[in-house]
Amino acid sequence: MSRRKPRLTTPKTQPKAQKPLSTLQTEKSEIPELSVTARIVNQLDWDLLWERFGIAVVTIVVWFIAGLATPGFANVGNFVSVLRQSAFVGVSAVGMTIAIIAGTFDLSVGATQALCAWVAVSVAKMAGVFPAFLAAVAVGGVVGLCNGSLVALVRIPAFIATLGTMFLVNGLTYIITNGQTARFSGKSFVWWGNAQIMSVPIPFIVFLSCALLGAAMLHRTEFGRFVYAIGSNREAANIAGVPVAKVAIFVFVVVGLFTGLGAMLLGARLYSAGPGLEPGFELNVIATVVLGGTRLAGGRGSMLGTVAAAILFATLANVLNLNHVDAFVQRVVVGLVLLLALSVEGVRQRLAEYWSRRTVSTRHPLGGRRSAVAAIDEFTD
Amino acid sequence: MTRFWKDGSPPQAARPTGPGRRRVATSQVGLMLLIVGAVFSVLAPRFLNPGNLLNICTSASVVAIVGLGMTLAIASGNFDLSVGSTAALAGCVTMSLVQQIGVVPAILAGLATGAAVGLINGLIVTELRVPAFIATLGMLTIVRGAALIYTRGRDIYLYGQTQYKILSSGFTPVLLALAVALVLWFVLQHTRFGRHILATGSNPASAQRVGVRTSFVLLGVFSIVGIAAALSGLILSAQVLTGNGRLATGLELSAIAVVVLGGTPLTGGKASILGTLQGSVLVAVINNGLNLLNVSIFYQDVTLGLLLLAALGLAASYHRRIKSV
Repeated sequence: MSRRKPRLTTPKTQPKAQKPLSTLQTEKSEIPELSVTARIVNQLDWDLLWERFGIAVVTIVVWFIAGLATPGFANVGNFVSVLRQSAFVGVSAVGMTIAIIAGTFDLSVGATQALCAWVAVSVAKMAGVFPAFLAAVAVGGVVGLCNGSLVALVRIPAFIATLGTMFLVNGLTYIITNGQTARFSGKSFVWWGNAQIMSVPIPFIVFLSCALLGAAMLHRTEFGRFVYAIGSNREAANIAGVPVAKVAIFVFVVVGLFTGLGAMLLGARLYSAGPGLEPGFELNVIATVVLGGTRLAGGRGSMLGTVAAAILFATLANVLNLNHVDAFVQRVVVGLVLLLALSVEGVRQRLAEYWSRRTVSTRHPLGGRRSAVAAIDEFTD
Repeated sequence: MTRFWKDGSPPQAARPTGPGRRRVATSQVGLMLLIVGAVFSVLAPRFLNPGNLLNICTSASVVAIVGLGMTLAIASGNFDLSVGSTAALAGCVTMSLVQQIGVVPAILAGLATGAAVGLINGLIVTELRVPAFIATLGMLTIVRGAALIYTRGRDIYLYGQTQYKILSSGFTPVLLALAVALVLWFVLQHTRFGRHILATGSNPASAQRVGVRTSFVLLGVFSIVGIAAALSGLILSAQVLTGNGRLATGLELSAIAVVVLGGTPLTGGKASILGTLQGSVLVAVINNGLNLLNVSIFYQDVTLGLLLLAALGLAASYHRRIKSV
């Protein structure tokens, strides 16, 4: 369903006052002809284009700038490294995109990833690659099932439920592993995290496949339609017959499955896995999804944006590394970028309010006196 | 305005909210406290040791102070996930300044740091319209990074500086916690600002239409949370006389758990100071008891998570039963 926004076709020199109906018919001869370019520019829905492809464009621009400004960036080996690094956050971000479009999110992906990575490495040591993959994905799915049940059946808000699960899984990981890291460097296992096919890293290929799978789930299945419906308006979807609880549980299971897969890749990459693996991971994942254009409120989003945003984050980290920036400063930068990405939505809202003077947003009714005055005007009209 | 009401007059004013309304939930916490305390005192004889009880009170006070600030935030309808990082930053700042400008100015500087972080949180939420939990999630990383950058990843140790230790020795933490509780209770019950906080939490749109300056209220709330977090950080760093960038990781979950256990609903509009105090004592008792029984420290995380989810599940089913009537 594409959103078509009507644009003004009259140039700005037209007077803004309303004309009485009787004079409108004589206006036709006064409208000047627009050039073809101007008409195309007017017809295009720039907001939608920016939402879908904006991040991809920004990524390419950043690549150009980085290639010129940072020595050591513009070579094949570095690009391979960037693409590979984007995959570990990216695979989880694919699942998180589905969750955020559905209107929820999952703060426990970091802890789940640590647990699944350890499971993958331990099982790979004993039984080989494919059982490791199955085990990691299964554990992720189980955690997702718990999350989904807590949110959909017990009706705990997603934020708190996944926060609690995060600490539970963290503690469980420490207990199961006894604080030890598991290591394994079998060739067929670490191939998944470190090898390349024709200069394209394997994790990135897996990431792209997951993104395609996720996009197919969103756009080509009934489940995907349900996800968009629940994200847009949960009550309306419920009344329309969407099985909200089942879909919500399945969304969390999907997040868990993708996180498990990403965890196996990470374990393969690092040759090891243990508790406390990559703290702050959940923030990176959410930042990737939000930066990719998916609105946090739900109901809109695209997988392409997530892929581009994952690559953008990896590029950012890479550029900071090449410039020998402190590791702590990098974490600050990630947080800042997330806040920046989120504030675009809020700033746009404020601008719209300022121009219209009549909008009182009930979602974040934090305007100042101006909006309150406008609201009182509505009552006394 | 009277022409809007069918009968010609507005309906009766609702009963005022306050600790009395939450009596059901808080009595559950009190009961659980007694049971758990009794169990531990039977299982571990050292539990009733006065030194041990003081330990419990101290650790309860630290979580209580942050939890009280968090109660205010939750009552206003928002969360603050950055309290742990704020505590660490305030601790580091104070530690680095004690030897230069003296104890009391350093403490004030630490509290001011907390207020500044809280103010930034509030500005992000009110001006940039970023949802509170995501904004504070981002600030969590930023402030933690700032603390680590400030200390350059190393510890700041105060040699022979015993004057500062008074913050964490003896009954001072307990007194501080009780003082904070009294002040916040007074603010919530008897000041206009407190009523505005509860109004904002209950229904922000309506509060704004009635004339409550939601932006300023939220700025104030987040600043108070920041100051409370800073105070906890100061006590924590005084316990070991070290300023560490990794201090108080996970404090935010303990704070939220304590508030939830105390009976304050997460949807906002009601606050239970007494409940938060009881919740923090309960959590401290459980942690201490598990320690005495030589249970692995990782089980404490699991226990906290389970407690939180159980309390929320109970609260959710309680509300559903009420709604279905």
